[in-house]
Parts: sequence; C-alpha cells; structure tokens
Amino acid sequence: MSVNDLLALTPILILVLGGTALLMVCAWYRAPRPLLAGGVTVALMAALAAGLVPPPATEISGLFSATSYARFFTILWSLLAAAGIMISARYVIDWRLGAGEYVSLVLYAAAGMALLSSATHLLGLFLALETFTLAFYILIACNRRCEFAAEAGLKYLLTGAVATGFMAFGIALIYASSGSLHLPEALTSLTTATGALQAWGFLGWGMFLVAIGFKISLAPFHLWTADVYQGAPAPVSGLLATGSKGAVVAALVGVIAVAGPVWHDLQDLLWFMAVITMLAGAFGAFTQQNLKRLLAYSSVVHMGTLLVGLICQSAEGNVATVFYLVAYVITSFGAFAVIASLADERGEPMHFDQWRGLGYRHPIRCAVLSLFLLSLAGLPATAGFMAKLVIFQAALHSGFTGLVLVGIFASLISFAFYLRVILVLYQSQNETSSWHPGSAMEHAVLTVCASAVLLLGLFPGILLDLISLILT
Amino acid sequence: MMIPFGHALAFAAALFILGLTCVLARRQIIMILIGVEIMLNAASLVFIAASAYWQQADGQVFVILLMAITAAEVAVALAMVVYLWRRKKTMIADQFNGMRG
Repeated sequence: MSVNDLLALTPILILVLGGTALLMVCAWYRAPRPLLAGGVTVALMAALAAGLVPPPATEISGLFSATSYARFFTILWSLLAAAGIMISARYVIDWRLGAGEYVSLVLYAAAGMALLSSATHLLGLFLALETFTLAFYILIACNRRCEFAAEAGLKYLLTGAVATGFMAFGIALIYASSGSLHLPEALTSLTTATGALQAWGFLGWGMFLVAIGFKISLAPFHLWTADVYQGAPAPVSGLLATGSKGAVVAALVGVIAVAGPVWHDLQDLLWFMAVITMLAGAFGAFTQQNLKRLLAYSSVVHMGTLLVGLICQSAEGNVATVFYLVAYVITSFGAFAVIASLADERGEPMHFDQWRGLGYRHPIRCAVLSLFLLSLAGLPATAGFMAKLVIFQAALHSGFTGLVLVGIFASLISFAFYLRVILVLYQSQNETSSWHPGSAMEHAVLTVCASAVLLLGLFPGILLDLISLILT
Repeated sequence: MMIPFGHALAFAAALFILGLTCVLARRQIIMILIGVEIMLNAASLVFIAASAYWQQADGQVFVILLMAITAAEVAVALAMVVYLWRRKKTMIADQFNGMRG
C-alpha cells in the first residue's frame, strides 16, 4: 500500500476514521446533538473529498477501483449517510439510542457501501459487504423501545449469516476453479477452465448469486424484507432499502462489465429470477396494510426491475441500471424519511388506519409522500417514470421483450397499491390524530429528495449524460 | 503425501451441506449460528486447499480475514442472543413471530 493508494482511499478513510473518532469521543462526552452534527459533517466531508480530490491511481491494491464510477457512488452513499443521520436525529435524542454508536455505525455502513460499489476483487467485495452488514445488524435492533426491533434484528442476522456462508463458499469455489480472486481473471477463467474445475466454478457463481439474492431480496430469498423493514427504525429501513441494496447492484454492474460471455450462461437463471421477483413483490405488496411493509415489497419489485437492466449486459443497459438505481434511492429514501419525520413518542405511523385522513392533518408532507409513491409507481414527470422508460428501452433493444412485458404488468399492479395508499391519505377528514410536526433537518432532507425526484423526472438528460460519461 | 484436490473439495462440500442442514433443521438460535460457523469453516477449507493447489497465498490471506469477520459476526450475534433472551426468555427462532403482513 503506497501513498497514492492512501490518497485514492481518502473519502473512505474520512468515513472510517471519522466514525472511529466519534466513537472514541462518545465514551466521555455523550451529548447527542454535537455527535450527530459531527457525523453529518464527516459524511459531507467524505462526499466533498470524493468529488474534489482526484484519485492518483485507478486501482487500490488490486482490491478496489478508484475510477469516476467508484467516486460517483462514494459521493452518493456519503450523502445518503448524511441524510440518514439527519432524519435519525430525533430518534437518537428522544429514544436515547446512543448518539456516538449510532452515528459511527451509519458512517461505517456508508464506508462499506462505497467500497462495495468499487470492488474489483472478490476479497474486497466480501469484506465491504460484511462491513455494512455487521453495522446494519446492530442498527436494526438498536431501538429497545420498539417491540419488534429485536425480532427484526434476529431475522436480518439469521438471513445475513446464511448469505455470508453462501457468499464465502461461493467465492471459495470460484477461487478453487480459477486460481484468482481478481474479478476479471476469475470470470474469464470460467470459460477456459475444463471439466470438474469448470463445474465447481459455475457452482461457485451460483452460490454467489444466491447470497446476492438474499442481500438485495430477490425472490425466492425476499421473505425477510418486510419483517425487517417493519421492525427497524424508519431511517435505518430507508438506508437498508436504498444503500445496502444499491451498493450490491452497483457492484454487480462492475461484475458484468468484465464478465463477457460468461454472463450469457447465467442469463436464463437471472431472467427467471427477475420475473418471479417482480411478480412476487407486486403480489406481496397488494395485501399489505402497513406502509413500511408495503415499501419493503415495493423495493422487491424495484430490485427485480433493476435485474432487467443488468441482464441486458449492454452499455445502454448499464446506464439505465445506474439511472434507475439513483432514482430509486432518492425516491424510496424520501418515502421512509416522511415516515421518520412523522414519528413521535408513540412510535411511527405504520398501519393504514394511522394514515387515514392524514393528508388533511399534514398536507405538505403527505403531498410529498404521494409524490414519492407516484414516482415509485412510475408516473410521468417523476424520476421513476424516466427510470422505467430507459430500463425497458434498453431491455427491448437487447431483445428481452418477454421480460419487458412482465415488468410492465408488475408496474401496473404496483400502480394499484401505491394509489391505494394515496387514497387512504386523503380519506375521511376526521378521527385521525396529529403526528410530530417534524424538525427543520427532516424538512430539509424531504425538500432535497422531492426536488431531486422532480428534477430527474423533468430533466433526466443531465444525469444520463453524467452516467454514460462515468461508465466509459 | 499430498491430499488430492478433489478429496478436499468433496470433504468441504460435505461439511457445508452439514452446516446448511443444521441451519435449516434446528430451531434454536445458537444451533443455527453454529451451523453458519460450520458453513464458513467449509469455505475456509476450500480456500486452503485451493491455495495449495494453485501455489498462491491469496486463499490463505482470505482465510485469515474470514476468521476475523467470523469473530466479529459471532460477537454481534451473541450480543443479539443475550438481548433476545432478556426480552422474550426464549431461544427458539420460531417464537419470534410477532410481525404479520
């Protein structure tokens, strides 16, 4: 590891060392507000460093890339961490969650996500994945007041641990068959290896995909999602739905970029997974009476749609995938932020009975929530519509008509259940109680998310150009 | 005498399947976690065998880091087990079924 490598790692080092510093400080100084402010500052500094410090090397120790693609996601996850800490502030203060620990765990998670998005080596990929998974185990269960937090933590822990087992064994088999952990070599040797070694290699990649399926909740490995999102505090669910899944998808874009013809052998399997994921998510969401569970199933549908973009394995498909990912991250995080901003000492509004008529009590935030839901549904003039358009276009150009038809069918079903939430929001004026008016920071996060959703919906060209620039 | 690569892989695969069976069949949280540990140890074994087969240190480095990760995971998992025990006085995974769709 040379000085250049360290310089290229600057944003990650800021996140990790900043998180550690806050953890040390909180051993003696436990006032939550300065610690939270410190966490936001560290995350923003990391984003700034990623944007301003040009990386002197393109690959760090052969483990992580430091290309503009990696930098893009480092900025995105750092900003997400900052927003996540901002909307958790009231949770941490009111529910006494331990500010230093909470903030440093969010920062470690962001570091893990940023590293995962830039992994070029199976070891780097595994370590980065475990970094944020371990942080999330604790973050999910950290709220001792909520009766379901511990249960949610247990469910994420058990599925996460099994996924880790599959991931480790899969990578071990890939290494056994190829003799290399560096992604390009590990993938190309799959075509050159012979006999039993090739079979082990394919088995390894299959197990690798099972672990990925657990992490980004592809059907049939999606059953944990709704329970975990329901039990975790809304800001953590927001980070889990966007960052932890988005980082894995970002890493997959990097994998298929170097996969070459091997990807064709896995395409049928992925085609099948994408179809059942989209359908399972859409039908699962239909019967939900709880907004957090509904958003969980919505994330399952979106992961299925993202898989459509990945299957294409074309430059257009990759651009569409990254665009869709960014649009989904902003929108879904915004929806969880609305829930977080309404939470008070009673907890969070979750069940539809608690949301009924809330559109008249909290008109602005419910309008913003409706905007996010419409964007998730893919209504024109929102980010979600453009995202769906580019991804289905890319799939059509690559000749996956069947997949596009299933995707559109799933979108139509999704539209019905998002609309149901909006109807609930604007039903019967009376009988609902008010929730928390929300802090200034929460309103700031919501404003940024809502304007980004509209901006990406009306002027998608800006981001699309940027993404095609960083992908080449 | 060198152990053939295939034998090491077959043994590790058997170990992995045993671990997975333990995870799927046992309902006690501690036993499930032990099953996961066995799965991870099977992975370590493959790494060591492959490292010897390809005459590289990469696999051995991975094993050391895997041990560190496993230790961290066990630390978090056992803390969670204590926390769950305090809340519900049970170690059976199926008892944690409070959330319904």
